[in-house]
Amino acid sequence: MFCPQCGASNADTAAICTQCGRQLQAAIPPVGAPTPLPVQGVVLPPGTTVPNFLVFAILATVFCCLPAGIPAIVFAAQVNSKLQVGDVAGAQAASNNAKMWCWISFGVGLAAIGVWVLLVMIGVVSGIHNN
Amino acid sequence: MAVLFLFAGCGVLLLRVFDPATSGLFPPCPLHYFTGLYCPGCGSLRAMHQLLHGNLREAWALNPMAVLLLPFVVYGLTSEALLQLRGRGLPHLFLPAIWIRALGVAIVLFGIARNLPVDPFDLLAPGILLPL
Repeated sequence: MFCPQCGASNADTAAICTQCGRQLQAAIPPVGAPTPLPVQGVVLPPGTTVPNFLVFAILATVFCCLPAGIPAIVFAAQVNSKLQVGDVAGAQAASNNAKMWCWISFGVGLAAIGVWVLLVMIGVVSGIHNN
Repeated sequence: MAVLFLFAGCGVLLLRVFDPATSGLFPPCPLHYFTGLYCPGCGSLRAMHQLLHGNLREAWALNPMAVLLLPFVVYGLTSEALLQLRGRGLPHLFLPAIWIRALGVAIVLFGIARNLPVDPFDLLAPGILLPL
C-alpha cells in the first residue's frame, strides 16, 4: 500500500510507514466491517444491517409461482421504511417476518415439488401396469 | 446455505439441458394446473431455459417480469454466496421502501393483467409473443 501522507510504498501489513512513520492500519477499515448505512439523512449506528430478504421474496414470487412471496415483499418494504426513519427494532421485527414468509414459500415449494414427483411416479407406475 | 446453493446450481444445470416446455421433469405451476390462470411467475422457468441458451427474445415473450428482475436476483445471490465464501458480500444496495412497494404492486398487477383476454394485456401471457 501507499502511505497517505508521504506516498511511500509499504508492505500491505505494515502498521506504520517506513518513510515518515505515519500510522497506516487505522486508516483502513477492517475487512468485513459493516459500514453505517447512509439512509436519507438518518445515519444508523455502525453494524446495523437489517436484511430484508427481498431477493428471496422475488425468487419465490416471480421464479417459483408462490403467492407466499407477496407478504415477504411487503415485509421487505417495511424493513427499509423502518430503517429510513431509524427504527431499527421495528426493522428487525419486519425482517423476521420477511424471513418467515420466505421459509414458508420455500416449504410450500418443496411440498409442491414432492407432490409432483409423487404424481409422476404414480403416473409412471400406472403406465407400466396399463401396458 | 451452501446446500441451497448446490441445489440452485443443479437446478440451473437441469434447466440448461431440459426445456420445461417439452419435458415433464419440471413441475407445472400449481395455480395454472388447477385453475388455468397465470400467476406472475408462469413461464419463468421456460424463460430461464431460453436465457441459458442466449435467446433473450423468447425469454422476454415467456415472462418479461422474470427477465427484468433476474439481474437483481443474480446480484443478490452472488452477494450472498460471496458472503458465505469470503465473509464479505457485494456492495449493499439500499432500495427505498417505496420502490419495493411499487415492485410488489407491479408484480400483482402483472399477474392480473396477463390473465385479461383483452389486447394488449393478453400479450403478457406466457408465450404469446413467441416468434414463429
